[in-house]
Amino acid sequence: MSAALARLTSHGTDRRAAADAFRTRHHGGVIGYVGADVPVEYLTAAGLLPLRLSGDPGTPSTDGDRYLGTGLDPAARSVLTRLLAGDFGPLDGIVVSRDSEASLRLFYALRELRRVDPALALPPVHLVDVLHLPHRTTTRYVRAKLGQLRATVETWAGRSIDDRALADAIGAHDRLRELLTRISALRRSQPARLTGTQTLTVVAATTALPVERATALLEELLTEADHLPEHEGLRVFLTGSPHDTGHVYTALEDSGLLVVGEDHDWGDLLSLRRTAAPTEAALAERYQYNGPSAPRASIRARAAHTRRAARECGAQALVSYARVHDDAPGWDYPAQREATGLPSVLLSRQPYGALGDEAAEALAGLVRTTQPTGPRARAEAAR
Amino acid sequence: MSAARLASASAATAHQRQWFADLREEAADGGPLALVNADAPQEIFRAMGIPYVVNQWWSSIVTAKRRAQDYLGLLRERGYPDDSEQYSSIPLASAFDPDPANAPWGGLPRPTIVLAETTGDASRKIFDIWDTQPGVSFYPLESAAENDVPARWWELMPRDWERAVGSDRLDLMTGELEGLIRFLEQTTGRVFSETRFAEVMALVNEQQEWNRRTRDLIARARPCPLPVNDSIPSVMIPQWHRGTPWARDAARAFHDEVAERVSTGTSVCPQERARLMWIGRGLWFDLDFYRRFEESHGAVFVWSMYLAIAADGYLRYGGDPLRALAARFAAFSDQLYTPPWSAEWYVKEARHHGVDGVVHLVSEDARGSYFTTRALEAAGIPVLELHADNVDARSADGDALTRTVGDWLDRHVLAGD
Ligand code: SF4
Ligand code: SF4
Repeated sequence: MSAALARLTSHGTDRRAAADAFRTRHHGGVIGYVGADVPVEYLTAAGLLPLRLSGDPGTPSTDGDRYLGTGLDPAARSVLTRLLAGDFGPLDGIVVSRDSEASLRLFYALRELRRVDPALALPPVHLVDVLHLPHRTTTRYVRAKLGQLRATVETWAGRSIDDRALADAIGAHDRLRELLTRISALRRSQPARLTGTQTLTVVAATTALPVERATALLEELLTEADHLPEHEGLRVFLTGSPHDTGHVYTALEDSGLLVVGEDHDWGDLLSLRRTAAPTEAALAERYQYNGPSAPRASIRARAAHTRRAARECGAQALVSYARVHDDAPGWDYPAQREATGLPSVLLSRQPYGALGDEAAEALAGLVRTTQPTGPRARAEAAR
Repeated sequence: MSAARLASASAATAHQRQWFADLREEAADGGPLALVNADAPQEIFRAMGIPYVVNQWWSSIVTAKRRAQDYLGLLRERGYPDDSEQYSSIPLASAFDPDPANAPWGGLPRPTIVLAETTGDASRKIFDIWDTQPGVSFYPLESAAENDVPARWWELMPRDWERAVGSDRLDLMTGELEGLIRFLEQTTGRVFSETRFAEVMALVNEQQEWNRRTRDLIARARPCPLPVNDSIPSVMIPQWHRGTPWARDAARAFHDEVAERVSTGTSVCPQERARLMWIGRGLWFDLDFYRRFEESHGAVFVWSMYLAIAADGYLRYGGDPLRALAARFAAFSDQLYTPPWSAEWYVKEARHHGVDGVVHLVSEDARGSYFTTRALEAAGIPVLELHADNVDARSADGDALTRTVGDWLDRHVLAGD
């Protein structure tokens, strides 16, 4: 395996290693964050390390269930459980975005736990309410919320963020997005040079590492691209719930699929949009128009995006994976299926981090009925 | 003395029938019609004379007529979920009804505009589908959230709403409402008059002041003058008509009726030993449940969120009327569901009503429930949590539920008696 890919894989899975290193080697503060709508640029500009918080499907979410109820996306319940267990190491603050209803409820729970149960010693929490309607009124609001976040981050960091530092951070994160887009092209190429699982893990690593380190590792990986092995499988575009761990991707790819693209923000959607200028105003617009994610975008916007993205990936089939208590994907699916015109399945009410039994059957059916392409399949067909 | 059905409830129900018949006629003549979510700023439609139907009200009518399953089936046929946000999605299925003539109340006329906040992850999608129906436009409003809020909102809201809600949210919603008004002016040709709007806003405040007096009467009355369910139509139907003289007068008639009962000593349960609060959605399949503990335990449910939120949740005085309207809705559901607001408010209401215990129905979708129970217990009020899966109509073993509550009353509420 490429050395860069090995490093990235290790940071994508052991998500707190870089934070621990950052703290001990540089005595820097680490801020946990929830959701792709958190403008991490402010954290980077203040010299803090943004660590995107993820759940763990393998551990029961007992504490999270108690505070949030069992009717909420299990990924959010797991994040809360892990926060209470100190799984992410010491954090100097938590920023939660409004990327989904579950994240918002997680924020309310954290805010209230801090108020009524100081003994839990939770770090300070801040909600950044980035909204997404395509209106000027919303832009103004998001701008105000970014200003509010900036002030909070300055307090946490004990220093002010000047416009120059912010511009640098915007440039650095856009550069990272640029590279992520190129990495994603590696698994879209025919034959693919990365699997969906590898790509997902690489993207995850970049949300745990300092931006310069992530950028350097991606650059290194790109130089090694030609030596990466080739991968085959039924090329599917994955829509539906976001995946904060690789479990479902592994299960999908173990059943003969190759995830060549997705429209959730632990994957391709994270790096889709750049910032038009190195200013706070442009940053507000970047986050407002970030997406289109399932919980926040209209059915129409989602369907149009899925059609375009699935075509660009050369996908042969569409799979919508909807986690239990993640309500948005089921509403999007009929329009997405129609828009892409691809053979498709909806896997609804899936357990966190796994495929239900019926899902496995549905996927087997999809693989059987969809004509595989690619050199090996063509060779086999010729034989 | 046992209590008969409230005259105000019968009057409200009759009014609702007549109103809907008139509305159907108006819509048949090709006029505009809005379908709006319960927590949306209906006052603008009122002021412009655009008839509207509240989405959740229509849902309750369909459900009461036992058509909910048919309607969910219509969604399923089109590939849409039948297990998500049903209360908001059932009216959408009206648009797909192959036999609208046999729909409840003659059927929901097709709206020309639908208005909703983009709350939750799915509710806006329901309106996206409305938007694809011929002749229907969806006007979405943002649902914003604040990082830091003052806890005792009910003290601030009536006059100091700017501080309670926060200026950013108010700027946002005021801007959106200005856009809505322009949109309605252009698409309906109706006029928005500031004078008329100020009247509507004043009528709403008057109506809610009556509700507030009624709530306070019931809170102080010993014994409780009416069963908790009976107040619901008397509060809710006028709420759908708020901003009209009829609705204000209906709230006043309800108040006078309750005052009359208090002065004549009418009571639900003369041997009142325990006053109870019910938090959570109603047990619609078993409304008698609320009265089952009167004879056995002298326990009476005295509190419903419908009257209480009418009393505390709507009043907005002063400032620019459009901004005041924004302040009514920019944080409406936070008042009921988001801690610290929700938790502190339930405690305040429990104390105000002198309740001896709280039965808290915790749905699977438990918005802030843990914190509500915690706050009540911290205030020394016994709480019995019932979990929705035990209380579901299909699985509910009514006797077991009765036993659970009876037991809890014996051990935790009446033990010291
Ligand atoms: S990327 Fe950073 S934390 Fe990870 S191994 Fe290299 S130096 Fe250490
Ligand atoms: S990743 Fe960079 S910042 Fe972190 S420890 Fe390694 S060198 Fe230092």
